[in-house]
Amino acid sequence: MADALLELREITKQFPGVTANDHVSFDLRAGEVHALVGENGAGKTTLMKILYGLYRPDSGSVSVEGKEIAVRGPRDAIARGIGMVHQHFMLFPPFSVLENIVIGEEAHRAGVLSVNAQRSRIQAIMEENGITVPVDARVEELPVGLQQRVEILKILFRGARILIFDEPTAVLTPQESNELFRTFRALTAHGKGVIFITHKLDEVLAVADRITVIRQGKIVRTMDRAGVTKPMIAELMVGKPVLMEVDRPAREAGSVVLEVRDLKVRSPRGLTAVDGMSFAVKAGEIYGIAGVEGNGQSELVHAIAEGVEIESGEILLGGVNARRWSVRKRRENGIAHIPEDRLKYGLLLPFSLATNLTLGRHNKAPFVTRLQTVNSRAVRDSARRIIEQFDIRTPSETTPANALSGGNQQKAVVARELSAEPRLLVASQPTRGVDIGATEFIHRQIMKARTEGKAVLLVSADLDELLSLSDRIGVIFKGRIIREFTHEEAVREEVGLAMTGGKAGEEKAG
Amino acid sequence: MDFLLYFLAKGLEISSPIAFAALGGVYSERAGVVNIALEGIMGVTALTLVWGAITFQSVWVGLLVAVLTGVLVSLIHAVVTITFRVDHVVSGVAINVFGIGLSRFLCQSFFGAETQSKINPFLFPKLLGVNSLAFWLIPAVLLAWFVLYKTVFGLRLRSVGENPEAADTLGVNVIAMRYAGVLISGALCGIASATLFADKWITGMVAGRGFIALAAVIFGRWDPLGAVLASLLFGYADTFRIIFESRIPIPSQFVQMFPYVLAVVVLAGIVGRSRAPAWDGKNYEKGED
Amino acid sequence: MSGSRRRFSSHLVLSQAAPFIGFLASMVVLVAIVIFMRESPVKAVEAVYKFALSNAARLGAVLSISIPYYLSGLSIAIAFRAGVFNIGNEGQYFVGGLTGALAGIYLPMPAPLHIPVVVIAAMLGGALWALVPAVLKAARGISEVITTIMFNNIGLALVNYLINGPLSGMAKGVSLEPQTRKILPTALFGKLNGFFRSLGWKVPDYVYLDYSLVVAIVMGAVIWFLLFRTRQGFEIRAVGTSTDVSRYAGIKVQRVQVGAFLMSGAIAGLIGLQEIFAIRGFYTYNIASGLGFDGIAISLIAQNHPVGVVFSSLLFGFLKQAGYGLQLSTKVPNSVTYAIQGLMILFIVAINAVVVRAVRSMRRKELG
Repeated sequence: MADALLELREITKQFPGVTANDHVSFDLRAGEVHALVGENGAGKTTLMKILYGLYRPDSGSVSVEGKEIAVRGPRDAIARGIGMVHQHFMLFPPFSVLENIVIGEEAHRAGVLSVNAQRSRIQAIMEENGITVPVDARVEELPVGLQQRVEILKILFRGARILIFDEPTAVLTPQESNELFRTFRALTAHGKGVIFITHKLDEVLAVADRITVIRQGKIVRTMDRAGVTKPMIAELMVGKPVLMEVDRPAREAGSVVLEVRDLKVRSPRGLTAVDGMSFAVKAGEIYGIAGVEGNGQSELVHAIAEGVEIESGEILLGGVNARRWSVRKRRENGIAHIPEDRLKYGLLLPFSLATNLTLGRHNKAPFVTRLQTVNSRAVRDSARRIIEQFDIRTPSETTPANALSGGNQQKAVVARELSAEPRLLVASQPTRGVDIGATEFIHRQIMKARTEGKAVLLVSADLDELLSLSDRIGVIFKGRIIREFTHEEAVREEVGLAMTGGKAGEEKAG
Repeated sequence: MDFLLYFLAKGLEISSPIAFAALGGVYSERAGVVNIALEGIMGVTALTLVWGAITFQSVWVGLLVAVLTGVLVSLIHAVVTITFRVDHVVSGVAINVFGIGLSRFLCQSFFGAETQSKINPFLFPKLLGVNSLAFWLIPAVLLAWFVLYKTVFGLRLRSVGENPEAADTLGVNVIAMRYAGVLISGALCGIASATLFADKWITGMVAGRGFIALAAVIFGRWDPLGAVLASLLFGYADTFRIIFESRIPIPSQFVQMFPYVLAVVVLAGIVGRSRAPAWDGKNYEKGED
Repeated sequence: MSGSRRRFSSHLVLSQAAPFIGFLASMVVLVAIVIFMRESPVKAVEAVYKFALSNAARLGAVLSISIPYYLSGLSIAIAFRAGVFNIGNEGQYFVGGLTGALAGIYLPMPAPLHIPVVVIAAMLGGALWALVPAVLKAARGISEVITTIMFNNIGLALVNYLINGPLSGMAKGVSLEPQTRKILPTALFGKLNGFFRSLGWKVPDYVYLDYSLVVAIVMGAVIWFLLFRTRQGFEIRAVGTSTDVSRYAGIKVQRVQVGAFLMSGAIAGLIGLQEIFAIRGFYTYNIASGLGFDGIAISLIAQNHPVGVVFSSLLFGFLKQAGYGLQLSTKVPNSVTYAIQGLMILFIVAINAVVVRAVRSMRRKELG
């Protein structure tokens, strides 16, 4: 029986109104990969923040190698060998890899940097764990997979023996994910322990030695990998049998609503992100775009919805050239957009929910009179109707948007865009950061739009979501659609393979 | 030849208030705090410089007092923006207003007149006909460059301006670094005002140099060397103006406008977006999701 | 529902508390300074009361001084609401004052027409002076903080040149102050003191309650209506909140910002109306300076709200008179009021930042 490398006993943490962790007990053995699975808001993040010293538990203990410790902050955690690789990288883009690794532990002589001395140590770590990164490159020039390696090197450099990975594959291709799992193996082979936080059940089954499911702040079960299936885990996560598929009424797609031809779009940095893309979406059809983040999806969405950074090519809406239209004109002509970041793009947080529900149509009747004055009664009436129709939980329509929960904020954005009765709905990561109840609701709404004959362009990093909703899936790779699948053809492995740029039957290099 | 030497020295003297203030601006913004209060801080430090010199009969003590004052006033900006997380521009404007008021009030209290101080006979020694303190700019910019890029402190300061959350996780004290950046800018304002006119304080003597310094920071791409070179550009252009003013057939008021017009033209002509530190001007909240 | 409505009004009260708390805090500092200067606080309060508040004439003086303050604060309020940091209203008011004066000097026309024309001319001048910084911001993203400040200096120098040169109206040896010709009588602003006296407020004639008061009230009402009752005003507030979300919603961000910027300059152009058209009768660049920067303080204290600016401009008027009162009757110098003004803004914005955050987390907790 391997010794417990890390042991959490009866950890409880309360915030006003919610118990995030309720007598949680969890242990990690040396040499194992232990998956921690749970929905958004289940308490995994809080637990890890406690481990990492960002929160102090109200009660309970944390022990490393049998000795009870109190973690006082990230620096303290690392000193005790606990390292975290975050979902959103904590890097300094303009600095070099070397600088990124050593900041906080710089070698110096009387305050003057002498970090070259630390190179050899980094080399040794890279060799020992089979990870390679160009040490002098600027991080902002590296692809995402390599950036993640820098994160791993950072914590290994500081002597981490307990490595926590928070949703690490969200930004990786399936191939890069497999390489990451190989890295897990190399790490655990040297007696380190890996905690792997994820909600992707396939990966859990692929790499975990033990699996712990957490739900609503409590540990539901800790079990060995042997004999565990996906539905088992899903049920433990949610507490009831989960509907894995949405109802799909058979439908004949109508005429082409959106056509994209040879579209070239720049990224904010000036590089070509969309490189001659062509595809079409019909009325009554959901066209999903599958691909690893960073292959041009974001730029494609902004180009279609807002017309930004387009270099060349055509965007046709119902056969009419829409490429140069202003955002206002696009909306007037039936394009609605669920943005990937609702807080940054989708809501004016200090304003009331009612006002937010008019964004995009705020300058039209009935919200505005002919004299251009705002008709607040109409705004509120419309808001009340939408709130009821979409079951948005809020004390009133005048509540400011920043007081709503994430799921309800997203519901509000979805509700607003659908209420505009668009011809084309562009939905980008529509259920990101949203709890399962709201996710189901949003999926049903998207399906309803499809049934009503709207064209839906669905961009998502969640392959399961795409597979269950889309009539057709276009795989985006390096700015182009390289393969299209119909709903029947779309099989997870095939689509995943296409996402890496590989073709059927091709063996990818080790 | 003599004239050329004088021109170079005079230009250095005229550039140095802007340049020192700009160096301060670089440090503050690299740590992520926008400081548009350089002007107001300089106004107050110029006054306390004169007061300190007269009271302690030494211009060097005056300089020390000026630096301390600069640190104290910039401390207010630091507290308001870092601890209270007020918008940086709003706080900067408030400090400017406060600085104008404070300097008038102090002048009244120290010298009995609101708009100008007594004459300070204790001055810095002259070198090549100009205030020798101006020559300190050369070692100052080299030191500033070295500290920012070659020391642990500088690396951590820059990291806080790029990604305070990441820096925090790595154990860098984000708040301390930000305070340091702002206080350094305050101290440099003290030195800047000492290179201005040490013999007397008059209301409005800073004349917008604190803001031109900000233009120099942007034009110099937030780099100490670049900011100082930009400041020299403004300073030497102004020197040119002063020396040849009487010989130029243009009305004097247009000549007076010159440094300000130049600043606008320079800003307008910057090709492409120059890159400020990623978290410049944004407030950082620990642990907020 | 009533329970939550009560909670929300208490949130509203809290978020408006900052200006009051800040004001009180700075008054505490003022009293501390008074004591520090070995002056009796009672005597100080008496002096302030006597000079600023004791009778109709005094109150009238406070109101009179507040008029240009209000216009200055209003010009900043509309700009800051759009996220435009127009620090240039000082230059805009000098240039606008000049263009208004020129319309008053060189465009003879009957009185009922002349005054509105003069007002419009002043607004055009102010807007003109905001144009270049506005375009530079919209087209090239250049920080308007720096450009508007530069334009302040450029504007002053330009006006200086014009008054000393081509537009000079000085008769030889008559006055020492460079100025324009006299403004035609049809454009001069008359007084409203008679009107107030008929209402029972005995304001003597040497206090200037003139047409600029009407202009201020009208502009205030217009801006309030614009910001809170029209679509364009909503777009201004939206852009000031988030340019990303505004762009996403189809709002033409650049256009809105330039519009707010020009409007801000236009109103700034009106700041000098009282002094030029009521008090002096001609234009000189020696008109009161610093009113522009004061406007920034005034608007910040009022959280950039046209109605709040009424109170903060009256407050500044009161503080100015209080300063004189203190200087006349006590050892405390006038300049202390400047320092107090700056402190007050700092207190208010700091407290406001804390309160806003506290209210937000309270709301979040309540909703679970």
